[in-house]
Amino acid sequence: MGPDIAAALARLRRQRRPPEQQARTDGGLDEGSAKAPVSPVSKLWYSDAVQAIPFWLPPALLMGWFVYGAVGWNLLISLTDWSGLGQPEYTSLSLEMYRELPGDRSFRAAFRNTVILLVAFTGVSLAIGLVLAILVDRDIRFENTFRTIYLLPMALSFVVTAIFWSWMYNPTTGTINVVLRGIGLDVLASDWIGNPRTRLWAIIFALTWQFSGYAMVVYLAGLRAIPDEHYEAAKVDGASTLRMYWRVIIPQLSAATVSAVVVLMVFALKAFDFIFVMFGDNPGRSADILAVMMFRVAFSRAQWAYGAAVATVLFVMALAIVAPYLYVQYRRGAL
Amino acid sequence: MVDTRTLTRRRYVLTTATLGSLALAGCTDDEDGDDDDGAGGDGDLEIVHWWTAGGEEEALTALLDGFGEEHPEIEIENNPEPGGAGAAIDAAIQTRVIDQDPPSTFQIWPGEALRPYTDADALEDVSHVYDEDAEDAYLESVLDAASPEGEVVSVPINIHRLNNVFYNVEAVDDAGIDVDDIDSPEDLLDAFAAADDAGYTGLAQQTQEPWGVLQLWEVVFTGQHGVDAFESFLAGETADLEDEIHESLTLVEEYSEYFNEDAGSVGWDEANADVITGDAAFHHNGDWAAGQYQAEGDDFEYGEDWDYIAFPGTDDVYTMVMDSFVMPSNNPTPDATEAFLTYCTSVDAQERFNPLKGSIPPRTDVPTDEFPDFSQDQMDDFEASSEQTVSIAHGSGLNPEQSSEVEETFAVFTDNWDPDETTQELIDIF
Repeated sequence: MGPDIAAALARLRRQRRPPEQQARTDGGLDEGSAKAPVSPVSKLWYSDAVQAIPFWLPPALLMGWFVYGAVGWNLLISLTDWSGLGQPEYTSLSLEMYRELPGDRSFRAAFRNTVILLVAFTGVSLAIGLVLAILVDRDIRFENTFRTIYLLPMALSFVVTAIFWSWMYNPTTGTINVVLRGIGLDVLASDWIGNPRTRLWAIIFALTWQFSGYAMVVYLAGLRAIPDEHYEAAKVDGASTLRMYWRVIIPQLSAATVSAVVVLMVFALKAFDFIFVMFGDNPGRSADILAVMMFRVAFSRAQWAYGAAVATVLFVMALAIVAPYLYVQYRRGAL
Repeated sequence: MVDTRTLTRRRYVLTTATLGSLALAGCTDDEDGDDDDGAGGDGDLEIVHWWTAGGEEEALTALLDGFGEEHPEIEIENNPEPGGAGAAIDAAIQTRVIDQDPPSTFQIWPGEALRPYTDADALEDVSHVYDEDAEDAYLESVLDAASPEGEVVSVPINIHRLNNVFYNVEAVDDAGIDVDDIDSPEDLLDAFAAADDAGYTGLAQQTQEPWGVLQLWEVVFTGQHGVDAFESFLAGETADLEDEIHESLTLVEEYSEYFNEDAGSVGWDEANADVITGDAAFHHNGDWAAGQYQAEGDDFEYGEDWDYIAFPGTDDVYTMVMDSFVMPSNNPTPDATEAFLTYCTSVDAQERFNPLKGSIPPRTDVPTDEFPDFSQDQMDDFEASSEQTVSIAHGSGLNPEQSSEVEETFAVFTDNWDPDETTQELIDIF
């Protein structure tokens, strides 16, 4: 960067400032001399928001159009009675589709399963992730190897994992039952995804396997941020290892927990691929979730408005999870 | 410091602008792309289909080669939307039809699957692509399926038969079963029991996806109560058929005792593999299941190692599972599409396509030499059949909305095996 260019840029910067804020020779701003009245227009023109337009406007427009525009349009469609391959009628909007939802047995089943999946999957993934993180953090050998092994499943596509889990769950030849029988636990061997009572749990188990590695990484970062002094102080005070983690370390992981929870929950809402690959768009009431129902209603039945209503319910659920997180972050000044 | 910051901002603006324009270009590209595909030099014939696996893909290639020989001037844009039996194609085609940007032609089941398109006036009348010979050579029931609203809107290119029971000859002999004595769906249950006693799986079946049990129920119903009753069901007169529906569901529930243990965790091909290995005696499916036996080559011969009977009670019935091509309205290439559909009605097209697909031609005047023995027998059965009907599980029987609801009912049935509740739910759909 030649000095002449630098000088030119500095000149440009000066010119963009309001006249009353010309730089003083010592590098500061000559604000004391702002005696002349400033017009509101020029105040607005020189405000941060306007000056920063090139930075926030393009992404805002793109996001606004492609994300929020689509969400809004989905909401609008859910108020129509659009079905079939014609065009939607926007003249008579009503909440009819939402009124139908509670009476629909498929919706009730899908909603219930979605909530179970959400809670169980998130809870178990966090617990396993925390335990793994603590173990990996305790200066074990081959730490990096273990970390990679635990994280690796997350890199796999659902299409792949769904297919090999359905092989492993096979009641006669699948690994799981073969192992159970091998160690004498024949009573536990079961038709995991064939039996409606275990189907959803089998899905949750597989998803947990795939995602607890993610929780581990988040927790590991949290653990690394805790100063060694805290461990040492706890030890000096005579705390047992268990007590040290329980009373000193884990309470400091709340920020990590919150961010992991949000990501895992939003993820659970979208666990569409896994179920779709295993069972198609009709997994039965024991494993149906809202995301699958939305696809089935919209694309197999062309009931666009009803599908859009299901999508809105999903959106509201996601919002209910993310909004408190954003609010807490905002209060902390992290946003 | 100041300079670096300015530079960074500048770069930021530049990057944002570049990314933004790229993103915009990406979007417009997409739209343009579709237009290009269609309008780009009036010759590009865009064909959307879901034939991407093994024999299916070979069959389509053979069809397109034949068409290319006849119309070398037409450029073909082969645009597969893979996904089991059209799971993905619906979403793609429906949105394009709504946007009035359809492909030149696309694959669809004839019959009620066409209904949403005819309701929206999205398909052109194609009756003129059938010449006189073709019209004579197509059976009336096939043309009926191609014309849900009275005018012919699709060109069926192949027919699979759904009402077959395949069996492993050795297993069936070993269990002392004489297939000629199996005259009714109830007799078949006894045969399953006999196979089970001899240590075989009675019926190799998949219940992981609901269509497997749905199609089984369809043929059981037809076998017990006849084609007329089945067609009344399709017409929605379910309330009068309560007892019949219940009876068939009960029998299917009894069949389920003899399914392979892993029926809930396998696809149909994995289930069918049990017949090849000799672990299972029987398999019910469309004749695409025979493709799997034929792929075994000399180790598994038709007539010696495996054989089939029409599903008991449906000897002179041909339950058809068909594919067809259509001419969407707002067609980007009307002339090329018409040429392609005309070609699809021809003997040449159907003779190239069907032997590889493992189906039989809808035209009854196609020479049989090119076909494997099994298909030749199916063609004889087809010509000899006195009644033809269609299937719900394969799209032609009910409109997509009703089919999907029936499928959902069967997804619940394979969980609870409760004929009472399922009967009621089936009645409530209509």
